[in-house]
Amino acid sequence: METFISEPAVRQVQVQFFTNSPDIALPEEKQQLIVPTNIGRSGLSQILNSDSMLATPNIVPFQFLINSSFLRTTLEEYLSASGFSTETQIRLEYVRSFIPPIYEASFEHDDWVSSINVLSAHSLSGRDALKFAPGQERILSGSYDGLLRIWNKSGQIIATSPMAGDGGHTQGVKAAKFMSQNKIASAGMDRTIRIWQYTESEDGFSGKLKPKLELYGHKQYIYSLAVHGPSNRILSASGDDKIGVWTTNEASAPEAPSSLLPSSIRSKRRKSTASVSTLQRGPLSLISAHTAPVQGVIFKPDDPTVAYSCSQDHTIRSFDLTTSTLVDTRTTSHPLFSITALPGVSNQLLAAGTSARHITLLDPRMSASTTQAMTLRGHTNLITSLAPDPDSRYGLVSASNDGTCRVWDLRSTRQGTKEEGSGPVGEAMYIIERNSQNGAKRPVGGEGIKVFSVAWDKDVGIVSGGEDKMLQINRGKGVTSIAT
Amino acid sequence: MAPSTLPRKRKAVTRDVPEMSDVESEAEFGDGQLEGILSDSGLDNDSEEEEDEESGEDELDEEEIPEDYRDAENGEPNGARNGLVVHESLRSDGLDDDDAPNYTIEKDANGGERYVYKDIDPVYDSDDSDFAIKDNTIGDIPLSFYDTYPHIGYNIDGKRIMRPAKGEALDALLDSIEAPRGWTGLTDPATGKPLNLSQEELEILRRIQTNEVPEDGYNPYPDMVEYFSGIQEIMPLSAAPEPKRRFLPSKHEAKRIMKIVRAIREGTILPYRPPEEREEEEDVEVHYDIWQDEQARPNHITNIPAPKAPPPGYDLSYNPPPEYLPTKAEKQIWESTDVEDREKEYLPTKYDSLRKVPGYEKLINERFERSLDLYLAPRVRKNRLNIDPASLLPKLPRPEELKPFPTVCSVLYRHKERVRSLAIDPSGIFLATGGDDGIVRVFEVTTARQVWHSKIGDEEAVNVVRWRPGRDATILAAAAGEDIFLMVPDIVDIETEQASLDLLDAGFGYATNTVQALTANGARKDPVAKWTRPGTRLEADGVLIKITVRSTVKVITWHRRGDFFSTVAPTAQKSAVAIHTLSKHLTQIPFRRLPGIAQTVQFHPSRPLFFVATQRTIRSYDLQKQELIKIIQPGARYISSFDIHPGGDNIIVGSYDRRLLWHDLDLSTRPYKTMRFHSKAIRAVKYHKGGFPLFADASDDGSLQIFHGKVVSDLMENATIVPVKVLKGHKVKSALGVMDIDWHYKEPWVSSAGADGTCRLWM
Repeated sequence: METFISEPAVRQVQVQFFTNSPDIALPEEKQQLIVPTNIGRSGLSQILNSDSMLATPNIVPFQFLINSSFLRTTLEEYLSASGFSTETQIRLEYVRSFIPPIYEASFEHDDWVSSINVLSAHSLSGRDALKFAPGQERILSGSYDGLLRIWNKSGQIIATSPMAGDGGHTQGVKAAKFMSQNKIASAGMDRTIRIWQYTESEDGFSGKLKPKLELYGHKQYIYSLAVHGPSNRILSASGDDKIGVWTTNEASAPEAPSSLLPSSIRSKRRKSTASVSTLQRGPLSLISAHTAPVQGVIFKPDDPTVAYSCSQDHTIRSFDLTTSTLVDTRTTSHPLFSITALPGVSNQLLAAGTSARHITLLDPRMSASTTQAMTLRGHTNLITSLAPDPDSRYGLVSASNDGTCRVWDLRSTRQGTKEEGSGPVGEAMYIIERNSQNGAKRPVGGEGIKVFSVAWDKDVGIVSGGEDKMLQINRGKGVTSIAT
Repeated sequence: MAPSTLPRKRKAVTRDVPEMSDVESEAEFGDGQLEGILSDSGLDNDSEEEEDEESGEDELDEEEIPEDYRDAENGEPNGARNGLVVHESLRSDGLDDDDAPNYTIEKDANGGERYVYKDIDPVYDSDDSDFAIKDNTIGDIPLSFYDTYPHIGYNIDGKRIMRPAKGEALDALLDSIEAPRGWTGLTDPATGKPLNLSQEELEILRRIQTNEVPEDGYNPYPDMVEYFSGIQEIMPLSAAPEPKRRFLPSKHEAKRIMKIVRAIREGTILPYRPPEEREEEEDVEVHYDIWQDEQARPNHITNIPAPKAPPPGYDLSYNPPPEYLPTKAEKQIWESTDVEDREKEYLPTKYDSLRKVPGYEKLINERFERSLDLYLAPRVRKNRLNIDPASLLPKLPRPEELKPFPTVCSVLYRHKERVRSLAIDPSGIFLATGGDDGIVRVFEVTTARQVWHSKIGDEEAVNVVRWRPGRDATILAAAAGEDIFLMVPDIVDIETEQASLDLLDAGFGYATNTVQALTANGARKDPVAKWTRPGTRLEADGVLIKITVRSTVKVITWHRRGDFFSTVAPTAQKSAVAIHTLSKHLTQIPFRRLPGIAQTVQFHPSRPLFFVATQRTIRSYDLQKQELIKIIQPGARYISSFDIHPGGDNIIVGSYDRRLLWHDLDLSTRPYKTMRFHSKAIRAVKYHKGGFPLFADASDDGSLQIFHGKVVSDLMENATIVPVKVLKGHKVKSALGVMDIDWHYKEPWVSSAGADGTCRLWM
């Protein structure tokens, strides 16, 4: 057992290694080990990689967790800081070390990129995911020029949505999402949600976006969409303080409100005669629960009848979609601009980005005693978009108007100071700068480098787009599996 | 006499007071004699002894003399025995003189009595001029009268008294006799020959006569040979041991000392001079102790104790540490400077030991200076406020506790030229700006995306943009030059746009119906404003109404209901302030005459009041009653802007003379608080209207200042005003900094328009 016999002067401590990933699990008899206390993360990682332990063909860097927080010092310092003696056995959970997301590519747009969505085997659910052929990942980007673009991983535009006259958006797109492999929903500053039929040629190098449905109902910009492919449901968050519940099923969708249709306008400047006439439908319901522009809406990951929304009125509200009623309201202290669910930790943990430059994590369950579970600090501007880590249960990425994306791990925490409000505070593990900046200093107010949207896909990586008109892909190589 | 006096004196001195008399002394001296001396000499001696109290034995000797004299002269019945005898004999003589007859009775021949008197003794001994010299009878005639005669007078027999022989005759006689040298006229008894003296013997005689030392070559003052001196010789002159008497106290001395001691005890000798009465001296110089009656006074503010002299420092030590000692250069400087200019009055000096320290030569000077200081210092308590400056500051909450307020620049909106005005729309989504390029732009607030723009001023700058309040319609009013434009930007949904268009167009037709006012000469008066369509290009953009007034409009203020708005054109004389009615396309001039150049106007947020700011005052008018209600005098020289608290009772005023003034309308027409924190003119002030107790000002120094200004409904409590943040970031361009500010309708976000061509949102 005692593989590593160290000098008697160095104190030793008994550790027990364990992991939740079965592919790197140690056999039972190797889990207990006595190690010198003066080693840190790298030393422990070396021990695990050695022949007598895991015998990995390639060295896999590991991170170690004690009591579900990362070991950042040596064992000695940890023991003295937490007041344990070397007699105690330390339970060390080891996880694959997160590798810095490295810049891979940038795809240039004509205008600001407002939204990003990735189509891959992991972004779809149910039968769609099974049908999905690997290597056919698609990146959908919505831009302020009103166009949707579909890219493949190598940076080729496979399809572009038609211009305004041909059934496209008349103003900028603010949200676009794949509903399924051939159905796309998009919405934006023209206050409509458009459903597109996406068809791709056999070789996969060209495709077509055909407008299928126009959904009217919002009176102000639509900031965010949430889609649920299997049930054809769409949720929209709009600046008119309302949340729209829509269906893409033409038959079941109600009639569009006539006063909002472009044909109702008397002014001559709005007389844009569309050559293509698409079906126009209205909302299943418009929920006016918020008192300020709604900035984000999501389905509950495992239950499409529950929705969460965040708004500038400082609240996160839960809705029961079957009855379109407000279930719960959680009030924070700042306007919220983005929301995402962290399905890994628990199905109930929500992360919301605020205008006060931090990310609030909260538990929306009615039974939860504390509203605010954790705060992630580090951004220097409003947080526009959030996306969970597809690999880790504890990771997420955030995009901000300060021109950075930051990668967070919920286990990397410290106790917050009084000024920050008590409770754990997380700090960013990695900061992804805009490649277009070329390492220059970030300008005041994030001028020209604001990141408006970020997506994190298991196969593609971290995809972000913003004011620099670039879609940027960052990826940590070797993150996803032990073999690569 | 001396032998007799000595024992008597001793008796006097050694006499004891009765109780102290011992056997020895009584045995030695006779009682009566002793007492006789004591009884009368006691008092008399005092006066004499007083004079020489401290001198030693000499006085004792002197004092004997009067005693003896007295005893001899007037001895008393119980005096000394021999004295008594003398006196008795004298007395008997005296009786004879006085009483016995100066004749004797004898029997004469006849047998009768015959008185025989004694011969009278004339006593020629007396000083009687009649008594003549017996030899010469010439009387009182000077002898010089007889100079020519061989005689000098006559004797009693009448015979001439011959003049005696004079020197000349004797000399002539002597010269005739020759005497040998050294002749003495004596006979040497040894030889029988006449004794002659030799030359040497004569010389000795001469020396003796002249009192010189007879022997030739004798030195009467030879150098002293100190056989007995203080110098201890190696070989002493005498090896004899010290005699015992040297170690024994002398009996004689002891006796003499005892004598003195007794005398002192008796009081015959006073060991000290009794204090003399000094009345005369007191008359000469009188000193008053002015602090004689001084008592310790209780600690009070008017009680000023004399300041204490500073305690001595290390450099005053006689042996100071070396770092305190002056270097040569310092010493030189000290010496060369004038006494009054010296920093210290002394030079630190080092002495090896304390006994080498000389007397302090400046003691008198220093004491004098000190006294002068104490005397000249005004003993008046100076009203110096010894207060911790921090305690003087009002107890304001810390800015951290007053969060949230804007702290950082979050969004930047770029213009090409100077931005003069900006406004956030009532929904908080859009920001309208207008600037020198004549373009009105609308941005999305959080993304800084420009969503709409229209060029309304061809050459003129857009001076002001203001959204119409209310969310039922979206109407933006902007002024460029003399034109006011009302527009519906293409940022709203069709329903709202339609509502907005309807609002704007509702007034068409009213203007033609109204009766035009006529001037004095009957001609149609020029209307104060013309409401027209701006033209197809602008109409396509959404700019729908153009109102042309007579002068450049600088300020637009909407009434809260959105039907009225007021404009200010400061250069227009009478029509500076105009109120426009949107629903009727009507423009009114409410004031015929204004007391100054109108700067800006505001509608009261809840009551029908209208505030007009001229350069120095703000007047509030009741629009319904059409009367002046109040004149607010901020005291500023040039008001640039003001804003009314949403509660309606407080006003902030910004002025070009850098002042920000808070007025409580219920309190006074004068400012409640004046803040002068900016280094340049203040251009805009604004309250947050969405519930946060915040207000902000914008200045030409390129900064915004955010204040926490909490107004409570309690009338007794004043507003709390705390400066919480200075927002810097705008660059000053051609002496202009921040031109305008506006708050988000709900969040504590403030936007600012800068002369550097940027607008910023601070959150």
